Amino acid sequence: MRDLLAHYPGAKRTLFRRYHLGGCSSCGFDLEETLQQLCTRSGGLDPHQVLTEIETSHQEDEKMWIEPLALHKKLHDISLSEVHLLDLRTREEFEAVHLPTSQLLTQELMQEAMGRWPKNELLVLIDHQGERSLDAAAYFAGHGFANVKALRGGIDAYSEKADHSLPRYTIEKEETHD
Amino acid sequence: MTDISLTEKIERAAAEPQNMGEMVAADAMGTVGSTNCGDMLRLWIKFKEEKNGRRVIDRATFQSFGCQTAIAVASVATELIRGKTPEEALSLSGEELSAPLGALPPMKIHCAQLVEEALRSALDPASETISKKSSSCASPASTLSDQLNPQAGKFKINILGSTT
Repeated sequence: MRDLLAHYPGAKRTLFRRYHLGGCSSCGFDLEETLQQLCTRSGGLDPHQVLTEIETSHQEDEKMWIEPLALHKKLHDISLSEVHLLDLRTREEFEAVHLPTSQLLTQELMQEAMGRWPKNELLVLIDHQGERSLDAAAYFAGHGFANVKALRGGIDAYSEKADHSLPRYTIEKEETHD
Repeated sequence: MTDISLTEKIERAAAEPQNMGEMVAADAMGTVGSTNCGDMLRLWIKFKEEKNGRRVIDRATFQSFGCQTAIAVASVATELIRGKTPEEALSLSGEELSAPLGALPPMKIHCAQLVEEALRSALDPASETISKKSSSCASPASTLSDQLNPQAGKFKINILGSTT
């Protein structure tokens, strides 16, 4: 799986979206096992079919991105009650800057989303610069959310391209001393 | 039919989980999993002494960013162990802890084992070796749920100001 993931960076997302594999440690896989082994222990999946789907993972990923300007337009065009904006960043980052109507993802909110939110409404995952949101979006897609998107470039790109009133920021990791 | 019923039970238990959240002033706490090996499940336990002097579990709560099945199992298990002595709770297998949901499919049995190990970690400190063993899989691939957790550690945020 190590080689497969290196060759197809979107493989993990495809495996979860399609087969509910690799979402968390309960359904995770090991880098040292082969696709054949994973398919065999996952109810006898056809490895050739799985590989074909993985090979198209890039196109699938592309469909999951939403551009900052497109999101900005949607937030003005459709009822805000039909859009869910979930922010994946730390509470400190969220408090420093966030999109109006967005919500910080907490475990409680995660449960509410999984259990109660309509799965056909637009759900947008937001991070700082678009590093994590695509994986998170695939996680929700694998749980049945049909209209889930990841904000390309994160809130940083949104601030730069769609809403200049939102300040941009950088993060510095503080050294901890024992 | 059994599968549909099981799926519904898991969805219902995960949608409205019992006993979710951190417990203040807990008497015991157990953790399994690690950020290096997928998700993590943490269990808190509060004891009470009955009139006959028996020390039993008064309440148990949990936190998990794991999959829906793990949350469902933790939800029913924390209800199941109420009123049991630590020894009685420790004698329960993953299968017994998840019994209210029905028989789990092979791919989901690990979810029940996760809860069993968290319970063992909380009630029997010697079992720490068990949870370490379970979380040290050879070369686990990072999982999608890892991306739902913000980066750990302390960060300084430098506001650059408006781009206008």
